[in-house]
Amino acid sequence: MQADIKWLDDPQVFRVGQLAAHSDHKIYANENEMERQQSSLRQSLDGKWQFAYSVNPAERPADFYHADYDTSGFGKIEVPCHIQMAGYDRIQYVNTMYPWEGKVFRRPAYALGENRTEAGSFSEADYNPVGSYRKVFDLDEGLRGKRVCICFEGVEQAMYVWLNDVFIGYAEDSFTPSEFDLTPYIKDRGNVLAVEVYKNSTAAYLEDQDFFRFSGIYRNVTLYAKPKLHVEDLWVKPVLSDDLKEGSVSVKLILSGEKDEGIQRGGQVTLSLKDQEGLVVAEKTLTAAETMDVSFDGVREPHLWENKNPYLYQLAVMLRDESGEVVEAVSCETGFRRIEIRDKVILFNGRKLVINGVNRHEWSAEGGRCITLKDMEWDIQCFKHNNINAVRTCHYPDQPVWYDLCDRNGIYVMSETNLESHGSWQKAFTEPSWNVPGSLPQWKEAVLDRARSNFETFKNHPSILFWSLGNESYVGDDIGAMQRFFKEKDDGRLVHYEGVFHNRAYEDSVSEVESRMYARPEEIIEYLENDPKKPFLLCEYMHDMGNSMGGMKSYIDLLDRFEMYHGGFIWDYIDQAVYAGDPVTGGRRLCYGGDFDDRPSDYEFSGNGIVFADRTEKPAMQEVRYYYGLHE
Amino acid sequence: MDCTNKLQVIMGDVSVGVRGENFSYLFSTVRLGMESLVRDGAEWLYRTPQPAFWRALTDNDRGNKFALKSAMWMGADCFIKCAGVVVSVDGREIGVPLAPANNMYEGALEAEHVLIAYTYETVTVPATEVEVCYEVVTGGDIHVRVHYKGKKGLPELPVFGMRFIMPTCADRYCYEGLSGETYPDRMAGGVYGLYEVKGLPVTPYLVPQDCGVHMQTKWVEIYRSSTLDNSRKDGEEKGLCFRAEEGGDLAFACLPYTAMELENASHQEELPPARRTVLTVLGAVRGVGGIDSWGADVEPPYHISAEEDIEYGFWIGGVKG
Repeated sequence: MQADIKWLDDPQVFRVGQLAAHSDHKIYANENEMERQQSSLRQSLDGKWQFAYSVNPAERPADFYHADYDTSGFGKIEVPCHIQMAGYDRIQYVNTMYPWEGKVFRRPAYALGENRTEAGSFSEADYNPVGSYRKVFDLDEGLRGKRVCICFEGVEQAMYVWLNDVFIGYAEDSFTPSEFDLTPYIKDRGNVLAVEVYKNSTAAYLEDQDFFRFSGIYRNVTLYAKPKLHVEDLWVKPVLSDDLKEGSVSVKLILSGEKDEGIQRGGQVTLSLKDQEGLVVAEKTLTAAETMDVSFDGVREPHLWENKNPYLYQLAVMLRDESGEVVEAVSCETGFRRIEIRDKVILFNGRKLVINGVNRHEWSAEGGRCITLKDMEWDIQCFKHNNINAVRTCHYPDQPVWYDLCDRNGIYVMSETNLESHGSWQKAFTEPSWNVPGSLPQWKEAVLDRARSNFETFKNHPSILFWSLGNESYVGDDIGAMQRFFKEKDDGRLVHYEGVFHNRAYEDSVSEVESRMYARPEEIIEYLENDPKKPFLLCEYMHDMGNSMGGMKSYIDLLDRFEMYHGGFIWDYIDQAVYAGDPVTGGRRLCYGGDFDDRPSDYEFSGNGIVFADRTEKPAMQEVRYYYGLHE
Repeated sequence: MDCTNKLQVIMGDVSVGVRGENFSYLFSTVRLGMESLVRDGAEWLYRTPQPAFWRALTDNDRGNKFALKSAMWMGADCFIKCAGVVVSVDGREIGVPLAPANNMYEGALEAEHVLIAYTYETVTVPATEVEVCYEVVTGGDIHVRVHYKGKKGLPELPVFGMRFIMPTCADRYCYEGLSGETYPDRMAGGVYGLYEVKGLPVTPYLVPQDCGVHMQTKWVEIYRSSTLDNSRKDGEEKGLCFRAEEGGDLAFACLPYTAMELENASHQEELPPARRTVLTVLGAVRGVGGIDSWGADVEPPYHISAEEDIEYGFWIGGVKG
C-alpha cells in the first residue's frame, strides 16, 4: 500500500496498517529479567533523529523516506520533543477556538452535508507544519531473529511511517500508543525508519484541548520483539463479591506464535497470582492457545486496593515452548476493588466514594507535554502530601507509566478519552450547528477508536474507576456509541461524560453520573434537592487561576449534606507555561499565550494550577490539603 | 513616673517632632502624614504612610470585571488629599502649631502622650474621608487608629489598609499568625504559629497580582540591615514591630512592591528591581474567590462594602529582640 496524503482530510481514515490496541502489560525474555524489570525484548529509539521542518505539505521533502535519500540538508531533533519546543514552529496557546481561527475558513468534513468533503482542507493547507523524521538503527541482540514491532507512545497529530523504503502505516490519536509490525522489512543492521508528522489533520477537530498547540514525536519510541510465543493482549479482571470477602480474577489471554506457524503444539502457559510478599495465591498451567480464558476463583478475604492502602497483586504469565523453556515472561499488576452505583450513590469498596481530585495535564515548563518519570513521581508525592486521592487525565490518556504510578499509590483515576471539540460548538455562545463528532456517521469510527484505545491499553489498571468519554464535545449519537462501547465491556467501572448537561436529550443514554463543571454550590444544591437521577460529581471545579482557591468550604460542606454528592476534580494541577529566553534580562522566564506572537491566543488562561509551572506548590495548596483531609 | 521617660515634643514650623530615648518621630503638618520614624538609629519611612484602596487585580478580579465597577479606588490609591491635621498633647487639643503660634514655646515640651490626627479626603465621586490618628505614648510606642467613613454610592473596595513604604528592602520578617498566604475565604488551611519569611518574596503568579496577605496575625516584625543613610556604616539589623491591639489581630502584606507596581507587570520579570519594603496593614481584605475565573464573584461574606465604616487599629514599636 502507498501512503496517501488525502487521509489528512478524511475523518474516516485514522489508522492504516496499525496494530490493534492492546493491554500495556510488560514483556520480558525470562523470569530473571522480569524480576529486574529490564527487558531484552525492548529497544529504545529515543535520542537524536534526523529532522527536516516544512511549513506545509507542498514544501515537504516527500521522498525523504527512501533509504538513499540525501539528508545533507536535514537538521537534528531530540526524540521525544515537541517540534515547537525545538524551535522549528511557533509556540501557540489557545483555549476553545481552533488554532486557525480567523486565518483559514474551515468546516469539518461532512458536518454541513454529505457532499461537503472539504477535500484538501489539511493536505493542501498553506500552514500545516510537517516534521520529516529519520532514524538509522541496528537491532539490539535480544530483538534479532524475532518478530519486531514499533510502538510510538505519542505522536501529535497524524503520522506516516516507512521502514527501509516500504510504507508501513498511518496513525492519528496523539495520546495513545500507535504500533506497527516491522517484521517483514526489518534487518539486523542499517534500518532506515522514516516518520512524517503533520501538525493538523481532521484529528485537529477532535483534539481542541485548552492547551499549547504542539506537534511531533513527544513520547517514547520503542521497538519490541515478540518471542515465538507472545502475549498480545491480557485482560485481568478482578471481581469482588458483594460483601468484599471473596475475590476472583478472570483472565483473558490472546497469544500469538511466529508468523505463518501460529501457536506451536506443546506450548504451555503458567499463570501465577502473587500477593505483595510474592507468595503465590493461585496458579494454573494450561496448554497455549490463541485465546484463553482462565479464572481464579475463591481468593478468600483478599486485600483490598484503596487510596490509603493500595494493595496490589501481581499476575505473572510464563510462556514455555514445547521443550519447557520460558520464551516470554509477562507481568501485570492488579488489585481488588469494587465500584458501583447503589441507590444513586457511588460506592467504592462498599463506602461512599469521595473524590478529592485534581485535573492533571501532562506538563513541564521545560518540555511542554513531554515529561519525565521524575516529573510524574514528583506529582504523585505532591498528591499524597496534599490528600489528593483522585486524578482526571484531562483531556487525553497519559503516558502508560502514569497509570502504574497511580496503581501503586492508590490514586483513583478517571481515564479520559482523547476527545475535545469545544471549538465546534462553544463559540461566542453555545452554537452546535457544525459540531463534531455529533451524530455524523463519518466521524463515529474515529471517536470509537479513541475509546477503544483508551480501554484496551489501560483496562488492567485497578486505579481506573471511571472511563470518561472526553471533554466539552457536546453530545450526539457518536458519543452515545462510545458510552455503549465501554458499557459492553462490563468491567464494573463507571462511565463519565459532562456534555449531556448541554443537551439533555442524551441524559438517559450517556454518562452514569451527573457531571458538571464550575457549577456554583447553589446550583448543585438545586440539582440534588429536586429528584436527582444520578449521583453528582464535578469534573472541574475551583478554577485555580493565579491567586484563587477561595470559598472551597462551600463545596466540601456538600459532602456531608448530600449522600449523592461525591466531590470533584480541581481545575487544575499545574500551570501551563513554558520557559523561554528573556532578551531583556538575559535569563529565562515563564511564558504563556501571546508571548510568542501567537494569535489567536488566550494568554495567561493556561495558568490555573495548584502548583506553578516549575513544580513548586502555590500558596493555596495548604487550603487543598486541609479540605481534602476532611473526608477520606 | 520618672520624668526623664517623658516624651519630648518639638513644635516645629512644618512638623511636630516627638522624641525620646532611642526614638524620634516627625509628623508633618504641611505634608500628608508621618514623615519620619526613627528607632535605634534607623529610619523606617521613605514617604508618609497613606491609606491603601487598591490591590493589584487577581485573575478572578479580572474575570468578574471587578475593576469595571471599582476602578475609582485605583485613583484614590494613587492620589489623596490631606484635608486637615490636629495635634493634642496629653489630651489637650492645640490645633496646628504653626508660626507664629508656636513662638510661645520656649523649648521642647514634655508629655506623656501626643496625638496627631490626619484627615484624608478621597478623590472618589462621591468623596469620603479617612481619619488616621497616631498616638505616641511614653516609651515611644505608637498607637495607630484608622477610620474609613462609609459613603453611600461608592463601589466595593478591593482592600482597605495603611501602606508603609520603608526606605530599603527587608532582610526578613517574622510573625505570629497563620502559615502561608491567606485570605478571608482561603485561610482554613493556615496553621497558627510563629513564622519567619526570608527576603520579601512575591508569590510568582504567572501574571503578577495581589499576593502575600497574612490574615489573623498577632504581630509582625520587619528586619532591615540596609539603609539609605550614607553615614550609617554599622550594617546592623534593626527591627520594627507592628502588633495587633489587645485581644485582636491584624492582617498584613509585606512585599517589595506597591499595588500599582504589581498591577503594571505582565510577567514577574517585568517587576522593577526590588528597592523598598511595602508593608500594608490591612483593615479589610476582599476574598480571592475560586468558583471560576470568568465571572463568578467572591462569595458574599468576603466583599468589602465602601458604604459602611471600617475602623481598626494597631501598634508600632520596637521588636522583642
